[in-house]
Amino acid sequence: MNSQSIINQSKSPLAWSDLLFRINQTWKKIRGFFELLWASPTAMIGLAMVLIWVFLAIFAPALTRYSPLEQDYKNINKSPSAEHILGTDHLGRDVYSRLLFGARTILLLGPLSVVVALIIGIALGLPAGYYTGWLDEVIMRILDTFMAFPAILLYMIIISALGPSSMNVVIAIAIGGIPGIARLVRALTMDIRTREYVKAAKLRGDSDFTIMVREILPNCRGPLIVDFLMRIGYAAFYIGTLGFLGLGLPPPTPDWGGMVQEGHTHMMANIWPVLSATLAIVSLVVGLNLFADGLREESMRYQ
Amino acid sequence: MARYIIRRLLTMLLTMFLVSILVFAIVEIAPGNVARNILGAYATPEQEKSMQNQLGLDRSPVIRYLSWLLGSDWQASRLVGYPLKVITISEGVVAKYQQWWAVDENGALVQWEIQDGRLYKLIRQSDGKTKAVEDEQAWKVNEEGRKYFWGINNANQAALWMQGEGGVEYRLEYSGWIASTGSPVDYIPLSKGLIRGDMGISLRYKRPVSEIIARRFTNSLILASIAILVSIPLAILLGLLAGLNEGKPLDRIISIGGLVTTASPDFATGIILIMIFALGLKILPGATVFMENNSVLKDPRLLVLPVLTAGLVEIGYVVRMTRASVVEVMNSPYVRTAILKGLSSRQIIFKHVLPNAMMAPITVIMLHVNWFIGGLVVVESVFGYPGLGNLILNAALYKDVYTIEASSMVLILLAVGTQLFADLIYALINPRIRYS
Repeated sequence: MNSQSIINQSKSPLAWSDLLFRINQTWKKIRGFFELLWASPTAMIGLAMVLIWVFLAIFAPALTRYSPLEQDYKNINKSPSAEHILGTDHLGRDVYSRLLFGARTILLLGPLSVVVALIIGIALGLPAGYYTGWLDEVIMRILDTFMAFPAILLYMIIISALGPSSMNVVIAIAIGGIPGIARLVRALTMDIRTREYVKAAKLRGDSDFTIMVREILPNCRGPLIVDFLMRIGYAAFYIGTLGFLGLGLPPPTPDWGGMVQEGHTHMMANIWPVLSATLAIVSLVVGLNLFADGLREESMRYQ
Repeated sequence: MARYIIRRLLTMLLTMFLVSILVFAIVEIAPGNVARNILGAYATPEQEKSMQNQLGLDRSPVIRYLSWLLGSDWQASRLVGYPLKVITISEGVVAKYQQWWAVDENGALVQWEIQDGRLYKLIRQSDGKTKAVEDEQAWKVNEEGRKYFWGINNANQAALWMQGEGGVEYRLEYSGWIASTGSPVDYIPLSKGLIRGDMGISLRYKRPVSEIIARRFTNSLILASIAILVSIPLAILLGLLAGLNEGKPLDRIISIGGLVTTASPDFATGIILIMIFALGLKILPGATVFMENNSVLKDPRLLVLPVLTAGLVEIGYVVRMTRASVVEVMNSPYVRTAILKGLSSRQIIFKHVLPNAMMAPITVIMLHVNWFIGGLVVVESVFGYPGLGNLILNAALYKDVYTIEASSMVLILLAVGTQLFADLIYALINPRIRYS
C-alpha cells in the first residue's frame, strides 16, 4: 500500500462529511432565497409572469401546431379562429406560434448578453477597485465614455456598423451593460478590500488574483445577483426595442420587437400580431422588473 | 466652487474627446466598409478602390480621424501651396452647396483640371463661370524626376496629378457611373472638420449634415420640452401623493402604475396608445406627418400621442424617485417634531416635506437625461416624428456614416452637458455639499 492510497482512504470520510455539509449549506441558502421570495408578493407575481413565459418557450414545439416560419398565402391577416388561436400575420404565419418561439429568442439572448457583460464587467471592475491608482483611473475614464452614450444610441451605432444578427445584438447589449457592472464591482471591491479577511489572506501570502477571485468576488455576490436580475429586464427591454427599430434579429426569425415592427404597418387590417407581441413583451419585461425589484427591496430590509 | 466647475468642464472635454474617438472608431473602422455602403453590393473592386481613394479612406485612421474632427483643409493647403477658401453657392430657394477654391497670388479663386494631359487653371469669374488658362509651368518635379501637381479639383477635393499618368476615376453622379481617365492619383477630401462646424455631406440626403441636424434638432426640442413640462409636475404630484399615503391603496396603485410604465418599452407604450386613441377611439392621429416645417405648431393634435408616450415613461420613473424621497423625509425626526408641535398638515407638507424631498428627484431627473433621450429616439420612430432620433435611426439603417457621427456627437454633448448642469445645480441648491 503506497502512501497515496493511505491519504485517499483517510481523506474519504472527511470528504463525505464535507460534501454533506456543503449540500446542507446550499440547501439553507436556497431555502433562504425562497423565504425572501415568499415574503415579497411583488417578487412572486413577477416570478410567476416570467416562469409562464419560460414554460411556453421551452415547450413551444409541443404547444404549437404550425411552424413559426410556415407561410400560408391563402390565410393572410386572419383574425383569431379555432385553427389559429391568435390569427395569422401579413405573410399568413401563425401568430401564436411566432409568439412562443419569439419567447425563446428573447429569453435566450437576454440572459446571455447579461452574462457576457457580467464576465467582462467583473474582469474590469475587480482590478480597478483592488489596485486603484492609475489603472483604476484609466479603466474608469474609458467606461465613463461608454456611459456618456444614451444606451439606444450606442446599440444603434454598434449594430449599424456590425450588421443586424443575434450575435451582434448580444455584443451590443453586453457592451452597453459592462460600464454599470464594472462600476458596481469596483465600488464593492473598494469596500471589501479593507476587511479583516482580505488582510488575513494577504498575510497568508495569497496572490492578488486569488484574493480577488476567492475572497472579494464571492462577497460581492448579493448586490451582483440583484443587479443581474435587473439587467435581464433591461436586456429584454432593449432586445425588444432593437427588434422594433429594425436593428434586431433579421427576418424571418420570430422576434417580438420585429413582430411589432412588421405588424404595425398592417395594424388597420389586423391588430392581432401587434397586440399580442406588444402585450407579450410588456408582460415579460414588467415581470422581470417586479421580480428583481421585489427581491431587492426584500433583501435591503434585512441589511 | 470655481475650481470645481473648471475641473468638471475639463473632465467633460476629455469625455467628449474620448467619445469622438469611440464614435469614429465604431462607425468607420468596423468591417462595414464606408465605400461599400455608398456603392452598394454590386460595385466592382476597381470602382470600390477608386471611391475609397476619392473619399480619402485609404489614408491612415489617425489622419482620417484628425481630418474628421479638425478638418483637412490645412493639410491640403500646405500641399497646394495656396490658402483655401470655401464659398456657399445658392441655387433656387433652399438648395445650397459649398465649393472649395484656392486663392492665388492675385486674389482670384482658382481650381485646376487636366484636359488631354495638359494642366489647366480654372479662374472663377464674378458671374460664377470659370475661365480655363493653361498652367503647364505649375508642374513640380519629385525626387524620381517625375512631374506632379497638387491642386484643387471641382469636386471639393485636393487632388494629386502626375503628368502623363493617372488611373481611371469612377465617379458616382446622379445619372450613374462616370469613368474618366487621366485622373488624379491621390485625393484629400476637403472639410473644415466637426469642431469648426463642418459635419460633412449626408450620403443619403446629399445635403450638408449640419443643415439637416439643425432642423431636426428643433423638432426634437419641441417634443422633448413639452413632454418634460407636462410630465414632471404631474409625476412629482403623484409621487408626493404616494409618499404621503405610504402603504395605503393609493400608494400601491401609483407605485405599481409607475413601475409598469417605466418597465414597458417605449415602443410598446406608443403602440398601445396608438391602438387606443387612433385605432379604437379615432380621436387622435397615430402618426406625425409633417407637411411643412412648423406643422406641429399649426396642428397640436399631432403632438399629443408622442408627448404622452415620451412622458409616460418619464412619469413612472420620477414618481418612484419622488415617492422614495418623500417617504424618507416623512420618517425623519424633524417632520415628526413638526407633527408633534401640532402644525397643520398643509404647513408640514409645504414647509418641511416638499423642499427637502425635492432635492433628490431634481438631480435624479437630470441624470436620467440619457434614458430620456434614448426614449425620444424610439418615440420618434414609432410616430415617424421628424426629429433628431429618427434621423439617427434612419442614418443607422442606411449607413449614412457622416450623419450618424455628427448627430451622435450632438446628442452625447447634450446628455453630458445636462449631467454637468445637474451636478452644478445640485452643488448650488444643496448647502450640505461643498466641492473642493
